[in-house]
Amino acid sequence: MRISTQFDRRRFLQATGLAALGGTLVACAEDEGIGAGGPEPTQPAPTGTFTEPASPLSGSLSILMWSHFVPAHDTWFDPWVKEWGQRVGVEVTVDHINYAELPARTQAEIQAGQGHDLILHISPVPQYEPSVLDLTDVVTEANNRHGEMVELCQKSSFNPTTGKYFAFAPAWVPDPGDYRKSLWTPVGLPDGPTTWDDLLRGGTEIKNSQGVQLGIGMSQEIDSNMAGRALLWSFGASIQDEAEQVVINSPEAVAAVEFMARLYNDAMTPEVFSWNAASNNQGLAAGQLSYILNSLSAWRTSQETDPEVAGDIFFSPALRGPADARAASHVMYNWIVPNFAANPDAAKAFLLHYADNLDVVAWQSKLYDFPAYPDVVPDLGKWVGADPFGAQPPDKLSLLENAIEWSTNIGYPGTANTAEGEVFATFVIPNMFARAARGEVSPQQAVADAEGQIVPIFENWRSRGLIGTGGS
Amino acid sequence: MGSSAPAAEATARTGEPRVADLRRRGIADRDGVLSWLLLAPAVVYILALVAVPFLLAVAFSFSDVTGGDPSFDWVGLLNFERIFADPVFWRSLRNTFVFTAVSMVFIVIFGKVLANILIADFRGRWIVRFCVLLPWTTPVALSTITWLWLLDSVFSPIDWVLRNLGIIQSNMFWLGQPTLAMISVIAVHVWRLVPLAAVIMMAGLLSIPKDVQEQAAVDGAGYWRRMFEITIPLTAPVIAISALFGAVFTFTDMTVVYVLTRGGPTNETQVLASWAFFRGIEGSDIAQGAAIALFLFPLLLAAAIAILRAVRGMEIS
Repeated sequence: MRISTQFDRRRFLQATGLAALGGTLVACAEDEGIGAGGPEPTQPAPTGTFTEPASPLSGSLSILMWSHFVPAHDTWFDPWVKEWGQRVGVEVTVDHINYAELPARTQAEIQAGQGHDLILHISPVPQYEPSVLDLTDVVTEANNRHGEMVELCQKSSFNPTTGKYFAFAPAWVPDPGDYRKSLWTPVGLPDGPTTWDDLLRGGTEIKNSQGVQLGIGMSQEIDSNMAGRALLWSFGASIQDEAEQVVINSPEAVAAVEFMARLYNDAMTPEVFSWNAASNNQGLAAGQLSYILNSLSAWRTSQETDPEVAGDIFFSPALRGPADARAASHVMYNWIVPNFAANPDAAKAFLLHYADNLDVVAWQSKLYDFPAYPDVVPDLGKWVGADPFGAQPPDKLSLLENAIEWSTNIGYPGTANTAEGEVFATFVIPNMFARAARGEVSPQQAVADAEGQIVPIFENWRSRGLIGTGGS
Repeated sequence: MGSSAPAAEATARTGEPRVADLRRRGIADRDGVLSWLLLAPAVVYILALVAVPFLLAVAFSFSDVTGGDPSFDWVGLLNFERIFADPVFWRSLRNTFVFTAVSMVFIVIFGKVLANILIADFRGRWIVRFCVLLPWTTPVALSTITWLWLLDSVFSPIDWVLRNLGIIQSNMFWLGQPTLAMISVIAVHVWRLVPLAAVIMMAGLLSIPKDVQEQAAVDGAGYWRRMFEITIPLTAPVIAISALFGAVFTFTDMTVVYVLTRGGPTNETQVLASWAFFRGIEGSDIAQGAAIALFLFPLLLAAAIAILRAVRGMEIS
């Protein structure tokens, strides 16, 4: 007869199983804690509003969207949209995926002719225009309810050549400068740089005296694309003009490239050529970068993971150059309703409900998302003036109250068209700056080579009738 | 097959097979039908996941299909004219060949060395074999992300070690300088594929009769002479196969480049597969992406023919 030992195989399996389960639960709890936790808001959250849809709804609504950079947003969004569905008689399902997977997924659904009823992108998606519904009716109704949509959102969702709203853009995200106050105070700029010249002078001094470089990326990634455009605009240059004609090869663009080369040689290292989208955030949080261009999300995470670092990170508006002070929107929401959507009425009704509740959206994203209809969020100035989510000092975000004045759309001064999208996706602008900064070619040649890549892209999309004269 | 015994019994009793038994045996005993049935899953798989996508890519490359407009309009060679005029395409093509060729040389050399180590008789040989195989069995995206961290511009542990050993004064910026970025991409390809090559070559080495080596040793042949006059000639077909497998995997891979550098800095590490993805999917010009991707086809075809010939050669020997 077999005598059972005190710790036989069955008990071992039970113990390890329980340990694994416990570990999983702890891990889940920890995941939930990130983003969903943090200090309790110091002001009451907006309660939101509900308006009956114009016509009765039924059936189901499937939504595909990104996993928000501020996880607390998704924790709120999913039950919120389902609750709306229950009130209007629609069964809602939401799928979140990494933002980088959205283009491939959307194109697969379009090719297959089936998929989600509503898809949220975080950058302008004019390339999908032939396969999505014209949302002019949604924009018109939202404008009637809340006033005119802000220009950068309108230019990121409307094609003047075809007269079609290929997307609804009810929210956007500012892209301020982020700097470490402890590094900038010793060089006489405790409030951070306000001009590109400040950035060059102060950044050089910090690198020489404190051994910490600047973080303006020139890599094949999204933030470098934003930074390069901000510099071009601030010098009075742009890729296209208002009529969607390529104008990159200009003295202003050459001057911007020359400036970036000086900035690199005096205040940066080859690190900036190798970055991915997370690199500048990581460098700033580690105290290895004195200044970057980015949104609030990484700082919000630092508030929970490393309050000391969060306390030292401050923000500044777009840097002023010889011609302008202009930054790209960091994120531009583009909701699209594909032609194959099974329930377009429900999709459109939800978009109007979303626009009605932009104050709740801004709050639940911890002031990451900004409204395309400022009247819906009358307290935005109060919130950024005294951050309800624990910024120290509380007025740290007050500069964002006027962010709309120094922010613009990809494609400025024209619209965010398909050609601008492909130029963005193939990193022509960061590479233009990088080649000159490394001394590979002269600034004039770098700009000319960039033009050589950009012109065929514009011609290609122009021949398809998706871009034209820009409405002029 | 289980039914064949009773059927045989019935035949033995009556002297001839009953009709019902013949019907029951039907499919199992008809070689032609059975062979097609067994082949069908593989044929369906190849048709659905290889042939159809390939034909679609060919069709797309002569069309104006975009990510947002799947309607097919014939544009002839326009997409090819456009990609020929694009300097990034030519750089990608050159990089693809350079990465593949250089990787192959190192994969074959290191694979052979590793195979020799793996067939040596020592304690813990199975653990070592397991560990050596890990780079190949780990999902490529996961292992490349690990390399991304190892080669980080600021936080690289490799730089940290080199700095502390006094070999370098400041960080190397592995992925920020064109030459170092290319070396890094090649190194990761080699690291990933050497285990596969080693295992293939190990199988070849183990198939060499021991008495041949022993006889050569008795006759006074030294290690290097045995290596070049016995081992390598006898394992040449296997080495060729491992080299060709490595070439195909390197030539078609975009994961390492996509994760490590996204083709940067300034497209210096861009390869055909990654450039096709950036143009076709991220840039939404699927037709042009398909035209770029098609340039992978001739070499892959040549590699496939070479592999099949090598395999046939082994069968004859």
